[in-house]
Amino acid sequence: MLSERERERYKRQMMLFGDVGQERLKNAHIFIAGAGGLGSPIAIYLAVAGIGELTILDMDVVDQSNLNRQILHNDCDIGKKKTASAEEKLRAINPDIRVNAIDQKIDEINASRLIGNARGIVDAMDNFPTRYTLNDVALEKGIPLFHGAIRGFHGQATTILPGKSACLKCIFPKAPPKEVFPVVGVTPGIIGTVQANEVLKYVLGKGNLLTNRLFMWDGLESRAEEICIEANPCCAACGTKESSPERK
Amino acid sequence: MSIKIRFFARFRELLGTEVSAEPTPGMNLTGLIKQVAAKNKEGYDAIFDEHGAFREFVILMRNTKRVDSEEAGNVLVADGDDIAVFPPVAGG
Repeated sequence: MLSERERERYKRQMMLFGDVGQERLKNAHIFIAGAGGLGSPIAIYLAVAGIGELTILDMDVVDQSNLNRQILHNDCDIGKKKTASAEEKLRAINPDIRVNAIDQKIDEINASRLIGNARGIVDAMDNFPTRYTLNDVALEKGIPLFHGAIRGFHGQATTILPGKSACLKCIFPKAPPKEVFPVVGVTPGIIGTVQANEVLKYVLGKGNLLTNRLFMWDGLESRAEEICIEANPCCAACGTKESSPERK
Repeated sequence: MSIKIRFFARFRELLGTEVSAEPTPGMNLTGLIKQVAAKNKEGYDAIFDEHGAFREFVILMRNTKRVDSEEAGNVLVADGDDIAVFPPVAGG
C-alpha cells in the first residue's frame, strides 16, 4: 500500500501509470553494480522514481578525481567509502525506499549470492571482466541485465533479457584492453539515465526495451544511433551449439 | 560502387563518423576497412594489430548482421553495403 506521502511524492508520475504501476516500482528490488559515473544517475533516478529496494555495490573510496562525473558524491565525501556516501544521499533523496549498500569487490564466486533475489541487475561497472560475471549471473537467474558503458563523449546501452535477446557476450565476445578512460560527466549522465529508464519500463511492463538493439550515443555529434544485434548460437555464455570452442 | 562505413566511439574520433568508399571489384571486407583506415595511422592501429589482423575486440557488422572478424577476409563487399565498425566502450 502506498502512503499518503508516497502518493503526493509520486503524483506526477502516477498520472502515467497509476497505483498499479507505482506499486510495481515499490515492490521491485534492483541491484546496481557500481556507485561511480554510471551508478550515480542510475541510483538517483531509480530512488526518486520509488524503486522500493535498491542494493548498490562498490569497493572504492571517493577520490577528488571522481567528482567531475560521480554525482552521488560531493567534495566533503573525499576519503569516504562510496557505498557509505551513496547510501546517505539515496536515503536523503527518498526516505520511503530501502537502500542496501555492499562495500565489496564482486567476482564470479560471490556475485550470485550478492545479487540475491534482486529482480534485475544494472551494469554500472568500468571493466568487461566484471560485466561478463554480471552477464553470467543474469543468465543463471533468468533476470535482466541493463548494460551501459561510456568513454569520452561516447556511450552505449542495451538491455539483456535471458532467453529472449542477445547476451553481453553475444554482442561483445572479447573484452577491450584496460585503460584509464577519459570522460566528461554528462556522458554517464546520459547513458545512466537511459539505463534507469530501461529499468522503469521493465518493472512497469511499458514500452519497448532495448533488447537486441545497441543504443550508441555520440555526444560530440549529439547523435544517437542504433545497431541491431542478435543472439549468437555459438556464444560462450548463452549459446546452444555445443561446437563453440569457448563454451564451458 | 559505393559503400557506407560507419565508425563508432574511439574509431570515430580517429577515422570520422561516416565514410563512403569506392572499393575495387572483388574487394573483401578486411581490404575495404584497411583501405579506409589507412588514412590515419592511429586509427589503423586501433583496429588492426602489427600483423594486419583485426584486434580481437573489434566488432564488424555488415547490413545489420555480425561478421566474425576472422571471416571478414572471405566476405566480398557489394554496392550499397552498410558497414559498422566499433570497439566495446568499457568505462563506467
